[in-house]
Amino acid sequence: MKKIISAIATVALVVGTAVAVAPAANAACSGKLKIAYQGPLTGPEAALGINELNGVKFALKKFLDANKGANVDPTVYEVDDQGDPAVAGPIAPKVAAEECVVALVGPAYSGASKVSLPVYLSAGLSIITPSATNPTLPSFSKSIFHRAVLTDDYQGPAAARLIVSKNKNAKVFLVNDASDYAVGLQKTVDITLAGRVVGKDVTPTGTTDFTATIAKIKKSKATAVFYSGYFSQAAVFVKQLRDSGSKITFASGDGTLDDQFIKLARKAAEGALLTAPAIPMETASPKLAKEMAALGWKPGVYTTESYDAANFFLEAIKAGNTDRASINKYVSTKSHKGLSKTLKFDSEGEVSGADVNGFIVKNGKLVLLGAIK
Amino acid sequence: MDFALLRDAFWGLTFDGLALGAIYALISLGYTLVYGVLRLINFAHSEVFMIGTFSALVASGIMGVKVEDDPRTGWGMIFTLLVCLVAAMLASGITAVLVEIIAYRRLRQRGATKLATLISAIGVSISLVELFRIITDSLPREFPRIMDKTFLFSYAGADIRNDKVIVIIAAGLMMFALERFITKSRYGKGIRAVSMDENTSTLMGVNINKVITVTFLAGGLMAGAAAFFYILVYENTSFKVGFFLGISAFTAAVLGGIGNLKGALFGGFVLGILETYTSAVFGTAWKAVISFLILVLVLLIKPTGLFGESIQQARV
Repeated sequence: MKKIISAIATVALVVGTAVAVAPAANAACSGKLKIAYQGPLTGPEAALGINELNGVKFALKKFLDANKGANVDPTVYEVDDQGDPAVAGPIAPKVAAEECVVALVGPAYSGASKVSLPVYLSAGLSIITPSATNPTLPSFSKSIFHRAVLTDDYQGPAAARLIVSKNKNAKVFLVNDASDYAVGLQKTVDITLAGRVVGKDVTPTGTTDFTATIAKIKKSKATAVFYSGYFSQAAVFVKQLRDSGSKITFASGDGTLDDQFIKLARKAAEGALLTAPAIPMETASPKLAKEMAALGWKPGVYTTESYDAANFFLEAIKAGNTDRASINKYVSTKSHKGLSKTLKFDSEGEVSGADVNGFIVKNGKLVLLGAIK
Repeated sequence: MDFALLRDAFWGLTFDGLALGAIYALISLGYTLVYGVLRLINFAHSEVFMIGTFSALVASGIMGVKVEDDPRTGWGMIFTLLVCLVAAMLASGITAVLVEIIAYRRLRQRGATKLATLISAIGVSISLVELFRIITDSLPREFPRIMDKTFLFSYAGADIRNDKVIVIIAAGLMMFALERFITKSRYGKGIRAVSMDENTSTLMGVNINKVITVTFLAGGLMAGAAAFFYILVYENTSFKVGFFLGISAFTAAVLGGIGNLKGALFGGFVLGILETYTSAVFGTAWKAVISFLILVLVLLIKPTGLFGESIQQARV
């Protein structure tokens, strides 16, 4: 008898566990539909996540103001992965299990995306990332993956062209922070610059002393350095570079394109060349940018793209789609005229017809140089 | 591998390594002092350092220094720097003493196992990190430039910068003062006596609690000085600043022989220089790998570390 009871208990346990972790793709949501946002909301990279969250919040507010009574929760379902794959891993299943979360804007970072996307794929949760630019991401998530920006396959070459356009005889030293994003981006910069690359170094996240790297840069006689990584460390690096007496061009990608970079690096940030497959809200729509700022949601890098992504999902809901599968089908097949561009995804979930923009830090402000040709 | 860089930029790398090593050495003194007396690794020591960096930041704000300001000059600059240094040292010293009273004393008096105390230390460390994560919104903070950074002179291709010279000299003076304190003062004698034999010291009339408080205070003051020097050179801090530096400083203490003051000093400088050299030769990504391999090798050959003695024997 004991054996039978234990067998039943085991079966019950297995079934129970299976139910608990089963994909919530078709589970019914009894309350209001929720739009989730995933990115770094705390941690050293939080500034970027907050920019994006603000875009989603603003889109949601505009939608609910225009569609009173819509069955959509007015609060964004916030998923804070700190931009860290180790944090994102355990969170993703919880998000997937939330029945009322029908769409997700994010994840913001490529490394965190790699661990989250397979979970969302099995849960059928549609995602549009506004900023994860690693080209390999579609292979992790197939049908549910959409990206509102161009990948590093475009950004890297554009960054290389920007450096060369400023200095025809540029000799470039490449530094990356060993993150998925940084390695991927540097690779494409490296290929485009080809013979102009005079040296490389890897300074893993958390590096505080760049002495040896700077010694290498000086010895290489480089006229420019391309830093592939995120703003908090980029600021420390560029400060030490300038303090060492070096005046060579500092260039970096979208990970560095943030007001926090200028705030942390101060004068050392002056003249820094930055790139992003993104367009500032102030340029895309000065009126909406002001409206956002008045609400206390200051727009920043990738706010416009997040706003567009959230609006595409909200448009799908407005069209009568109320579950994950139909919303995913809608964004995968239809198009949405956004502020940054028209979002029309190909079979890989990639967007086309977009630009990579160049920026320069001037008098403590980010100044748009325009699309990089 | 780029041995040519090490050859060409040898003096520059050595100088920068010394400045980094001075900071490691000051932090590692706290680990080694506490270990010498209590046989305990004070895992919260890295957070004592972190609090020092934030205190220097707050002190600079109170002194009216803004990040967008131009660097100060003359006596105003010296006074501001001193206030920041004292603020960092005091805050770290007080934090270290509080950590001892709150997290360790009761456990010690009740005869708790070393493991329980170790867990308590890790708990304090995590609590402090999370507290500062919340207070700072997880964002790094920039420290204003109080002193203009200029090159004093060039030697064999090495540009000698004023802030790093200050760090090396001031750290040296602090260590000398601590050494004198341990070897000459009454409390120093107490510290050495307790590290030699706690029970006998008690029988001889040494007030154990007082000695331990002084030990934590001394370690905290040194960590506070390290925090100020760190923020003077690198000009930024964050809630997790103590983590990487703490590991390096702890490694330095073990390398020199934990429990030994001279070992901690030597370990700090050696590790600072070693990290800079290995970064130059093998690439910064290999810094930790090579440095720790060397640490393992040293410990394999000399398990007690390079100096391998404890505080009580460091009197001569």
